[in-house]
Amino acid sequence: MAGLTSTQPVTERAGRGGLAGALWLVQAISGLLLVALLLLHMIAHHFVVEGGLRDYQQVLDYVANPVIFFLEVVFLVVVTAHAMLGLRAIALDMNLKAATQRAVDWLLVVVGAVALGYGLYLAVALQRL
Amino acid sequence: MTDTPLHHDPVRPRRPLQAWFDVRRRRLGSWAFALNRLTGLGLTLYLFLHLFVLSNLLRGEAGWNDFLRLARTPLFLALDVILIFGILYHGLNGIRVALVGMGVGARQHRRLFWALMVPGLALLAISAWLVFTK
Repeated sequence: MAGLTSTQPVTERAGRGGLAGALWLVQAISGLLLVALLLLHMIAHHFVVEGGLRDYQQVLDYVANPVIFFLEVVFLVVVTAHAMLGLRAIALDMNLKAATQRAVDWLLVVVGAVALGYGLYLAVALQRL
Repeated sequence: MTDTPLHHDPVRPRRPLQAWFDVRRRRLGSWAFALNRLTGLGLTLYLFLHLFVLSNLLRGEAGWNDFLRLARTPLFLALDVILIFGILYHGLNGIRVALVGMGVGARQHRRLFWALMVPGLALLAISAWLVFTK
């Protein structure tokens, strides 16, 4: 992951690195989106709630709001993508063999898909309660 | 940033994992990089843990209340503060990395680091106060 400390502009890296540059850009944009989404998530779920955590009925009422439900799903998609790309960046730093790196890439796709699928299942199940 | 020989390159060192914990010849950028990675790993672990914890809601009100009792113990509140530190550090340093990577403030990246970390520390203190008093 040449991106995190490099001072080379991403536009140059994207042009040179193709997929690597594009993924760096996805990582950066998802990270910036997360700053806003996570701030909203922390305020709504913890800082404005008496006792710091919503009780059972408050959680159900909260996710029943379609706007909130949509934002939480977007949050889940963005945070999962960002996390899996971050793990991939660490794997790239390990200088793995090409075949191992490909296996790691697919493993991360599967882990990300399972996390996303389970998170969506939870969100939908809670909205239906 | 100045160029360094390949074997001291914090981005692609010969032993990448060991390099995160190697305190020799460290500069601010490589400390920030290592801590960014460690907080990122911690937050990823937390993401999976969070999904697991939320499944308590499917056990009904009693299942969720059991978790709430546990979550309000001092140990869990202290873990919340560590989590908030991870979020603040990773988020604020991430803003710096994204800006520098896009060519914004690349020459002032150290100043940018502290300009983000000082308010970050203030936010951490306020958050910790809220966690333990609210």
